[in-house]
Amino acid sequence: MLAVMAREIRLLPRRPALAGLVIVLPLIMLLVLGGIFRAGIPTGMAVAVIDLDRSDLSRAVTRMLDAAPELTVTHRASDLSEARALIVSGAVRGAVLMPQNLERDITRGARPEIVTFYDNQHMSAGSLVARGARNAIDTALAGLRLSVRQGQGEAPVQAMVALQPIPMQAHALFNPAFDYVHFLLAALIPTVLQIIAAAATAYAVSLDFGPGRHPRVLMRMAGGILPAMLGKILPYTVIFLLILGLSDVALYGWLAVPLRGSLWLMALGAVLFVLASQMIGALAFVLTRDMGRAASMIALITAPAFGFMGLGFPREAMSTLAQAWGAAIPGTWYVQLRIDQSLRATPLDISSMSVLWLAVIAGVLAALILAQLSRLARQEATP
Amino acid sequence: MSPLATAFRAELAAVLGDKQVRMIVLLALVLYAVIYPLPYRAELLRDVPVVLVDQDGSTASADLARRVDASEAVALTHLAPDMAEATRLVHERRAYGVMLIPDGFERALLRGDQSPVALYADASYFLMYQRVMQGAAVPLRQMGAEVEAGRLIAQGTPRAVATAQVSPANQIEVPLFNPAAGYATYVLPAAFVLILQQTMMMGLALAATRRGPLPGHPVWRLMGRAGAWLAIWAGLLPVYLIVLPVLYGLPILGGPGALMMLGLPFLLAAGFLAQLVAALFRRGEVVQVVLLALGMPFFFLSGFAWPVEAIPAHLNALAQLIPSTAAIDGLVRVMQMGATLPEIAPILWHLWALAAGLGLVVLAVETVSPSRPAAPDRGPTAPSDSPAR
Repeated sequence: MLAVMAREIRLLPRRPALAGLVIVLPLIMLLVLGGIFRAGIPTGMAVAVIDLDRSDLSRAVTRMLDAAPELTVTHRASDLSEARALIVSGAVRGAVLMPQNLERDITRGARPEIVTFYDNQHMSAGSLVARGARNAIDTALAGLRLSVRQGQGEAPVQAMVALQPIPMQAHALFNPAFDYVHFLLAALIPTVLQIIAAAATAYAVSLDFGPGRHPRVLMRMAGGILPAMLGKILPYTVIFLLILGLSDVALYGWLAVPLRGSLWLMALGAVLFVLASQMIGALAFVLTRDMGRAASMIALITAPAFGFMGLGFPREAMSTLAQAWGAAIPGTWYVQLRIDQSLRATPLDISSMSVLWLAVIAGVLAALILAQLSRLARQEATP
Repeated sequence: MSPLATAFRAELAAVLGDKQVRMIVLLALVLYAVIYPLPYRAELLRDVPVVLVDQDGSTASADLARRVDASEAVALTHLAPDMAEATRLVHERRAYGVMLIPDGFERALLRGDQSPVALYADASYFLMYQRVMQGAAVPLRQMGAEVEAGRLIAQGTPRAVATAQVSPANQIEVPLFNPAAGYATYVLPAAFVLILQQTMMMGLALAATRRGPLPGHPVWRLMGRAGAWLAIWAGLLPVYLIVLPVLYGLPILGGPGALMMLGLPFLLAAGFLAQLVAALFRRGEVVQVVLLALGMPFFFLSGFAWPVEAIPAHLNALAQLIPSTAAIDGLVRVMQMGATLPEIAPILWHLWALAAGLGLVVLAVETVSPSRPAAPDRGPTAPSDSPAR
């Protein structure tokens, strides 16, 4: 087995396509993904103001909108249809309408309406715009309420307290900085690595077990089909683990994502995850014996895997079928383990479940590969 | 037969006649259309489970809990005596938030003091965090307003004045498009465009790595091939962007005319890019793996799910060279938001410029190296030539 491993490593520089797939491609992916999410939280999204009042109050609201970190007031629209056109064309992501006589109606106690329109087709940006506008308008109105109370002779502190009888103390559990880098990147890198590990392993296996190749030489070298297969797979396991480790250094070091849990559990999970991903590729190849068809099979399983991990739309809200499909993919459990152990500091007894699942998936995949390999060996023995 | 027609027919045969390419293009359509949308079928997050820690146990705290439980976004599914037990439930993912009503809640309210309530929401899942905050904030604010108004009335302020003073203006939020905030409605239209591009590029690049030499000037050959792409994908484009969305109940505001106008430069640009990918990586297996791995980065670079405002400028400039970036933006605006072509003219021009630019690069590459060794067992001019054993 060691001989096969040594041969694999020796051959790698002479196979530029394979070396590119297992080393260069993942590194480029790391750089690009890290680059995309480096900024953290989106800021300064363009909004339009439809100010039909042109009063001190409406100007104050506009200033508050512009001061909100999420927003920048870039356009002034004269009516709704103009604002709508700006949103549809993508010039702005939302618009705030302040009606005529806003200030007068407020002083009269007529409770006029301030309307925020936002583009919810681009939901991630749209909900941020809505939140930014809501807070800005709240702040402007709170200033107004405060000055009314102070006008009635209340002390500033007392008036401030009276404005909010039941204040909500909001705490963001596990992710206090509320940084998107944390969970998006922590999930995207394994997703992409899962694709590459599966596909590259299938390709590496195809170079020796494919049609027209001679796996017998390899088997004689290793003394059996199991050590031959392990010898093929393990060198890449090491490479992918190194890449995963590098991404962790970048995440927890350079991007300063918190690491609160057990490093050992994460490392164990990483080994099982990489092995399981590789075995998806190996299984796809030994089943199809054709790299093209194997690649399609791998694509089917690994390419849509991100959605099933539940980072965007949570797993618990999915249908049972979708949950089951996600449970069969190693990345789902590895990403859960990462989030548990890096951000949430989940107690080990809960988090071990993810590792257990990874082990089960890896075990089933290994059994399937061995069954198929021995079937193929029998077929060759009895032509 | 003219070189143009020869190239057209050869490319049709290469895509539709090759088992592997045909499988990528057609099987991908069926399976991606079924598997990819599977997680999002539920569309909406309702009644996200939240733990209630009621240390006050009073009428007022029960009233507040009832109001929060009644909201659409969250449901108070668990009761816990303290924070430790509540946090454990969140760790187990059986709940996504904790509402803590502290001891003395009612007393403080009756005394006229501020009486805070703490809300802990799981921020490792963005959507859950949002729903928990939303579900609790609205009832809390409402109850707070009632309390403030009640106090003013008790001080002798007339009811109408008190209401106006508590909330001087009515804040209304109107989501344009996707008003129900459905997750499938949000993500699927963009994802379908990306899947179309990736599978098209995979098929065409694979076909390109197996192409044999053809007669005629490179311009005619390229035009013939481009014609074949359009002939095939002009049929698939409406399937992905009209039929599938309708099947999944997504809103469609754009018509087939506008779709085709935007689709034409998009398909051309993606086809030309596939030729470059094939020329760069040569081997069919490698091309497939590279395009597979690029799917996710392309999606996030497009500025759809991850707002373009948060993408660093140099990466965003690079992203503009990928057809899907402009195509996702343009197609979603036309099909889901009902934009007219003049309203998105810059995107349309962007795609045409991309198609022309990439086309010229492909032409240059193929003119410089016209005699790339062809795979001997695939080329249409050498059908029965196999390598020596």
